[in-house]
Amino acid sequence: MNEELDSQLSAMFDDELASAECELLARRLSRDGDLKARWERYAVIAAAIRAERGVRLNARVARRVSVIVGSEPEFAGLAAPRRAPRRWARPAAGAAVAASVAAVSILWLRGQAPPASVAVAPQFAAVPTVRVTTPAVAPAPSPRPGGPASYVVPPNARGAAAVVPATELANYVVAHSMFSPPMARRNLLSSFMTSEPAEAGAIPVSTDGAQDPPRDAKSGAQ
Amino acid sequence: MGADASDLSLVRRVQRGDKGAFDALVLKYQHKLVKLVMRYVRNPAEAEDIAQEAFIKAYRALPQFRGDSAFYTWLYRIAINTAKNAVVSRDRSPIEYNIDRNSEESYEMQGRMKDSETPEALVLTDEIRSIVNAAIEALPEDLRTAIVLRELEGLSYEEIAAAMDCPVGTVRSRIFRAREAIDRRLREVFEGGLGRTEELG
Repeated sequence: MNEELDSQLSAMFDDELASAECELLARRLSRDGDLKARWERYAVIAAAIRAERGVRLNARVARRVSVIVGSEPEFAGLAAPRRAPRRWARPAAGAAVAASVAAVSILWLRGQAPPASVAVAPQFAAVPTVRVTTPAVAPAPSPRPGGPASYVVPPNARGAAAVVPATELANYVVAHSMFSPPMARRNLLSSFMTSEPAEAGAIPVSTDGAQDPPRDAKSGAQ
Repeated sequence: MGADASDLSLVRRVQRGDKGAFDALVLKYQHKLVKLVMRYVRNPAEAEDIAQEAFIKAYRALPQFRGDSAFYTWLYRIAINTAKNAVVSRDRSPIEYNIDRNSEESYEMQGRMKDSETPEALVLTDEIRSIVNAAIEALPEDLRTAIVLRELEGLSYEEIAAAMDCPVGTVRSRIFRAREAIDRRLREVFEGGLGRTEELG
């Protein structure tokens, strides 16, 4: 047997071998029967020198323990050496989870939202909408700054919101005439005059929600 | 050179599923553990049984061993607890030797009673001891001093180097050569190695 190896084994038995060398020799010791037998004799020599009273040097403890341990289950939780957690793994995992949640949310929302041509109609079938046909006259403000340039008229009682007093509307158009192009203003006023309803003071606007598919009224970003 | 590096490297191997590494730990400490247990039970056979139980307990608890303390310290603690429990349970047992267990003579008697079952064990133990002692006597002075300081006094290589006024490497070499000389003598007597003594014992 290699003398240097035996010398290392002797030093390892005394806990006087460097850690790196111990790692290598421990692997060999656990597999090499000759090396293990030598290791055992070193232990016997040490016990004999100490002359421990009552201790039998041919103790069968090691053999019996080896048999019992051989029938024990493996350490499943420690079968693989522990690795230090990678620093980038946790943020990456977090980003992956966030992306997954976002994707699922989008898919879910798409599943909930009906196609524009089919599902919106019944939802708003009973809701009268005001279709602003002259964006220059009454541009609907965006609900919040920077928000989408569209809105849906909230549900109201049928007919109540659909009637706008013609006089007030005409006054409104006149008052804001400086902000509207002359041609549009003129057309609107002429349409008021020609479509004066029978009921004085009120002008019907489009309330044909049941027949005309409702849609978001565009404010016309002007 | 880390203290307990040898044991720790073996422990890590066991924790990774290498049962052969645990054999090495048991071989190294079985005599010390039996001696320790014999402070609580005087009967060598019973002490071996308790030491065996302690080793099994240690093996099963090894996944939780983190290396905060030295392995042998941890193992000794397990052995002491196992021995204390064994003594308590034995004292509670109604079927026992019908003698006074409090006297030292009774413990000695128990030991002889059990040992009489395996006289070969005692003979072999005595034989091994005499061979080792004769081999030590035959060693050159520097080798004998080094191995005795190590095994009997428990000094580290550095302490032995200071005591013998020589480099640590020389101490390591002397201890190794002393062991080899004794081991050679043992192998000459027990041609089949100590495995034969295991069978006989």
